[in-house]
Amino acid sequence: MPKLSRIITLTLIGFFLFFQISFLPVAWSKTVKTVPVVRVVVEDGADYVRVRLSSNSSLVYSHRKSGNSLIVTFRALAGLKLDRQPFQSQLVRSVELAKAPDAYLVVVKLSTEDFTYSHRFKKKPFEITFEIKSKSASQPKKESSAAQKSENQASAVSPTSQPGVKEKQAEENPPAGSFSAKKTRRTIVIDPGHGGIETGAKGIFGTLEKDVTLAIAQKLKAEIEKNLNYRVVMTREADVVVPLTQRAAIANNNKADLFISIHANGSRRSNAHGSETFFLSLTATDEETRRLAYFENNENGLSEQIKGREADDLKMILWDMAQSAYLKQSSQLAEIVQSELNELLNTANRGIKQAPFKVLTGVACPAILVEVAFITNPEEEKKLQSEDFQATVAEAIYRGLAKFLQMYEKP
Amino acid sequence: MKAKKKKKIRLLIVLAVILVTVVLVFFFGRRKETIKHMTGPLETAAGGKKITEVEKKTVTLFFLSENDDLLHPEEREVQLASSSPNDLARAIVEEVIKGSSQGKVNTLPEGTKLRQVYITSDGTAYVDFSRRIAEGSYYGSSAEMAAVYSVVNSLAYNLKSVKQVVILVEGNEKETLGGHVDLSRPFTPDFSLVAR
Repeated sequence: MPKLSRIITLTLIGFFLFFQISFLPVAWSKTVKTVPVVRVVVEDGADYVRVRLSSNSSLVYSHRKSGNSLIVTFRALAGLKLDRQPFQSQLVRSVELAKAPDAYLVVVKLSTEDFTYSHRFKKKPFEITFEIKSKSASQPKKESSAAQKSENQASAVSPTSQPGVKEKQAEENPPAGSFSAKKTRRTIVIDPGHGGIETGAKGIFGTLEKDVTLAIAQKLKAEIEKNLNYRVVMTREADVVVPLTQRAAIANNNKADLFISIHANGSRRSNAHGSETFFLSLTATDEETRRLAYFENNENGLSEQIKGREADDLKMILWDMAQSAYLKQSSQLAEIVQSELNELLNTANRGIKQAPFKVLTGVACPAILVEVAFITNPEEEKKLQSEDFQATVAEAIYRGLAKFLQMYEKP
Repeated sequence: MKAKKKKKIRLLIVLAVILVTVVLVFFFGRRKETIKHMTGPLETAAGGKKITEVEKKTVTLFFLSENDDLLHPEEREVQLASSSPNDLARAIVEEVIKGSSQGKVNTLPEGTKLRQVYITSDGTAYVDFSRRIAEGSYYGSSAEMAAVYSVVNSLAYNLKSVKQVVILVEGNEKETLGGHVDLSRPFTPDFSLVAR
């Protein structure tokens, strides 16, 4: 009879175990599904680095290059965890996880901005492989490290901007002064819109925005150098492609005091005409606003307050929206320049406006984008072609800058 | 003695039955619940598909006018396969691509194709276009603003669930359409660009 009670107890235990086991996988798969884990493996190859991101769940992703980083965006997730395998690499400095409002970013930071990468994707098991190559092997590395040592000379005037830029800068910095930590001459960065295969808008007579912007920029440069004690750095001085983020980087690395981007406008309405000046508008989400508020409150002491690598990462995120701290001054600059354009040009005044322009977002100083006239309007296209008109535009912008600088000139 | 033992066994059996039922109810009850929970969203999706007849809806689209650089509303009836927001969003963007039927100026390059639209639960609409959208020879600042905000405003105006819009090109993030307007951040609608 005690046998019976033992059988009953065993059955009970059996039942219990059976259910536990049958439910275990459900609970297990549930936790995995809510927070996918991305495993990161970095391997140095002969002349490349292989970065492998793998996960046991399939993810929606996109990738892009941004400055010295390769950013992989994973969309619409409740969470994401990184499982980083320790690595040592020449090219890859760090792999970080950042959270955007609606996505998680895996930021692969590299030691150079000058890299290319290829990308492969395997669906099952989910695996993305990037092969990253530094464009220039050893020579430019020395150059950039040398540049980093000299305090007043920026490191990242990269090979895409012409050698002319570098020479000019070297000339303009007397060797005696180049060792002093403080910058003596202040800098205006002029950004001729577009370049290379990125032609910008096109007029019906075939005029290209990139040519007009460069012509006006060169005239403006000459005007500033003639009249003001300012160093002028151009984001491009030839017909070449310069990525938008790099234009901002050139300004920031040269510690620019002003940033002027020159463009010619385009519209599908051929009768659209006139001149206008833009400064940045923010479409900031809540999280970004918080970050920006932090930035504005800590404009000066940012690096001192946060030490080491942490500061480095934070700066990178903040750089992305650096312009937000200068919106007020930028709007004043836009206003002054626009009123000079109205005075000197015989074009319709379209006023000052705000727009989310990529080239302005990362610039850490007052920055504007001037739309001189419409290249898609035949009448204005002819004007834009003429040297006289270009010179008048340069004169008007120069006058605006000079007025603005007077307002902010420190004794 | 025998009667006592019998009693004990009966008690044990009753206890065992109770325990087994408790265990069964506990696990099966929970399982039912989890299944319900897991299929919850699916059921509503299926429910949406039940309506197979074509639905008609009047939407407001935004195009440029000949006279100024503002966006002007244009009403139009669209036919929908379902009442799901994704289908409505798709129809709206397709109509913006088709362009104005009232002589307004179109904002997107001819030949642009819509690859995909999806709206996430947090109110972000992802709109994925073919590469043609980035090939407007007239893409200056004004034209780019018009292209972006005709899509963004049209979606946000007609769909309350859309709070912000991300524009993708060929499935990827693109920096800009033609070198001006930043596509890497979600757009919130800007009705200051619309004529009053």
